[in-house]
Amino acid sequence: MAKGNIINKLFAAGPLFLLYYLSISEVDTNLEKLIEIFSINLQIILIYFWIIKRPNLMGPGHIFLAGLINDVVMGFPLGISSLSYLVVCFVGNYVRNKSVNTTIASDWVTFLIALLFANLLFFTLLNNFSEVAISYTKIGYNTFFTLFLFPVFWLLFNLYQISFIGSQDA
Amino acid sequence: MSVSRDDFSIAFRSALLQRGATQRFSIFSLIIVALVIFFLDIYGFTVVKTARSFINDVVYRVTYLASTPNRLFPGINKGIASHFNLKKENEELRKVIERYKSLDLNLEYISNENKNLKKVLDTEDVKSVSNIVLAKVLVDRNSPFLKSIIINKGSKEGIVKGMPVTQNKYLIGRIVETNYLSSRVLLLNDLNSRIPVTFDEKSTQAILTGGGTRKPTLSYLPEDYKFEEDITVFASGKDGIFSAGTPIGKTTKDGEVNLFVDPNQLSFVTVNLIKPSKEVF
Repeated sequence: MAKGNIINKLFAAGPLFLLYYLSISEVDTNLEKLIEIFSINLQIILIYFWIIKRPNLMGPGHIFLAGLINDVVMGFPLGISSLSYLVVCFVGNYVRNKSVNTTIASDWVTFLIALLFANLLFFTLLNNFSEVAISYTKIGYNTFFTLFLFPVFWLLFNLYQISFIGSQDA
Repeated sequence: MSVSRDDFSIAFRSALLQRGATQRFSIFSLIIVALVIFFLDIYGFTVVKTARSFINDVVYRVTYLASTPNRLFPGINKGIASHFNLKKENEELRKVIERYKSLDLNLEYISNENKNLKKVLDTEDVKSVSNIVLAKVLVDRNSPFLKSIIINKGSKEGIVKGMPVTQNKYLIGRIVETNYLSSRVLLLNDLNSRIPVTFDEKSTQAILTGGGTRKPTLSYLPEDYKFEEDITVFASGKDGIFSAGTPIGKTTKDGEVNLFVDPNQLSFVTVNLIKPSKEVF
């Protein structure tokens, strides 16, 4: 019984572990060696999905910390990724409060709003307060591919949820 | 109408302020903290700089450890290749090619310089590189926005902002951030990278501009300049940062530069301990 409980807890901590691992490791979702324009922001997809489905698995404190770590590794001003992730978290919370049942289509549409708000804040702050220059084309591609691939990751995360955590939504 | 507005405000407030059973912080409080940290970092207070430097050193080491599995997989592939005894032979051949290439490049640069010295009496000061530091690449995270690497040497070794970084005598970038035990190198293909360069027989001057893509481009060229392929591009040293004559890459017909060193394949680099003659950044 106790062993099963520990395994369940480990599975439940999976998304959070993945978020920290994506932030701190060299694993990147930028496959420019294969396709020069391809890059996605997997952290944002991960946060949005789990905030909508299982908010108790991904607390805002962890999201904030993962953002700080990401800033250090990527060389961005401290706090900027945290802000962007927290905006996603906020939109996810709002959508969850307002909706009774969500589908992949409704999540996709609301994810667009979260992504736009998060990227807008990220690049507005970077553009106005930092000396770091960023290519708008790259931002466009990144946003497009992140949005485009959201359903794929939605299905994967949903499969993980059904298989290892339980199918009941928040 | 008022009911729907109430619904909106309740959902909005709840999303911003509510805490779950296991959550200690509300999103609103964390947003405020993140904003404070952001502005403290941007406006560069000494305490924050020191704290950031310490955090950087710790996080880079953890990142290096966390990325070990990433490095193991390519290692396994190489192991398979060495099974067929190709690896060693390949490396030896590469070394021979690199040696010949560097000899060839030096010759090309010296002959170009010689031609120009005949024309111009005022020559530039070519600083000799006596002090170098060999550093290992700790983190090479391929960001879509920033092209940089983290190396395992920092201010402890005398590294300061602006110092040029090379591999096999080919320029790869410059130091943009130093911590006590680590530093960040801005690569030549980053959007923020601008380097004065010289190339061809006329010693044409240009600025090598990173675009976030694999190949940086040449800009600020003379009017109606026609690009030729396979011309070696060297750092001109006019910025007082890079040593004149450091080879960078070969030109393409589109005005881009094929870098000699692939920025995605760096494992060891050399930092030239030349103090920049002016403040960088």
